[in-house]
Amino acid sequence: MLLVIGGIALVYERWIGHALIAIISLALMVYALTTGAILKGRIKKKSPGNVIKLHKRVGIYFGALILGSFIYGLWLRLENGESILASVHGKLGLIILLIGVLQVIPSLILKNRASYRILHKIMGYSLAPILIIDASWGLHNGVIAGTKNLVLFHSITGGLSALLLVWIIIEMLYPADRSLGRARIASYLTALLITAGCWIAGGYNYLTVYGSQVKPVILAGPHPWAHEVVMEAKEHIFVFLPIIAFALSITLFALDRDAFLGDAKSRRALTITACLALFMVLLMFLMGAVISNAGHTGAEA
Amino acid sequence: MKESATSIASAAITIFLTGCIIIAHDVSTGFRQSLAALTGHHWISVSVVAIVLFVLSLVLLLGSKNARKSLKVYDIKLWSTALMAVTLIMILGILAVLIARYLAD
Repeated sequence: MLLVIGGIALVYERWIGHALIAIISLALMVYALTTGAILKGRIKKKSPGNVIKLHKRVGIYFGALILGSFIYGLWLRLENGESILASVHGKLGLIILLIGVLQVIPSLILKNRASYRILHKIMGYSLAPILIIDASWGLHNGVIAGTKNLVLFHSITGGLSALLLVWIIIEMLYPADRSLGRARIASYLTALLITAGCWIAGGYNYLTVYGSQVKPVILAGPHPWAHEVVMEAKEHIFVFLPIIAFALSITLFALDRDAFLGDAKSRRALTITACLALFMVLLMFLMGAVISNAGHTGAEA
Repeated sequence: MKESATSIASAAITIFLTGCIIIAHDVSTGFRQSLAALTGHHWISVSVVAIVLFVLSLVLLLGSKNARKSLKVYDIKLWSTALMAVTLIMILGILAVLIARYLAD
């Protein structure tokens, strides 16, 4: 875990590395909440396995990432000579860290956890909205600092989504005992990346930067059709993609293992849906490349 | 799982309706302005409409056995093919409208 944090920190010196760690933390938090809900019986699972062990392990990973993310954020703030508590993002980060510590440490130390269970549950559920608010706040701060990073983030999440969709297609084509579980994880990550990275981040860039800075350059350049046709189509066709990604995730979640392994028709149908989502991602890439090229040509003209 | 295609059917319905709204707002300036007035930007409005339609159709299908039966929601192959066909038709429709508008200008 420390290697992951260290690696990200070395590759991305600025806020984007901190954001990447926060996204991994968000995914782990969702997993911890899900395993917690399975333990309490709120989510039914046919073969629960050792959920307590899994819940503990995910909790420890989550705590480590939150600690790493906080230290990373602190380092970034100190580099600029700013106090971490001077911003709302920093204050929320400190609260998240404290809740994270209070969640993980007593769970590992206490032998009789019955009296602690209610507090653990309340803190666990309150952590989710605080973390989402803090992550969004941090994203907003980072976006203001540099919009080019946002476009990069938008593209990277699109690329990762394409890889995850390929993974889902492979799991569908070569089914094994654990294929459904792996395809589910890949589909949840795809839905998360497409929503957070492509939809929200891309939409923010489109609304705040593209219209005022890129669009006039393209319209004045030699390829105005890149905006009039390609961009106008991309911004609306894209809306279909998160819907397809969510439909795929929900279907995989609802499908049981026996139906998945025994029914080739279901697997073929899911392969078609995953292929459609992959086609959409690649189409968005192509359209994005045409628009970027028209922007560069327009700026040079 | 008998009705595993519920969300795929909801997606197909959502994409069809959202696609029609997108084409209508590209054709009619008045409709585009009314969509923009809804949230401040037409793109945000289309996004919100898509989310609302998806959730609504999903809730409706999950809540009504008759709707699931009449729409053959148990047939995952049928609905995944329908989703693909609707999405591709809507993409082509949107592109055709935008190209026609660009050429006309």
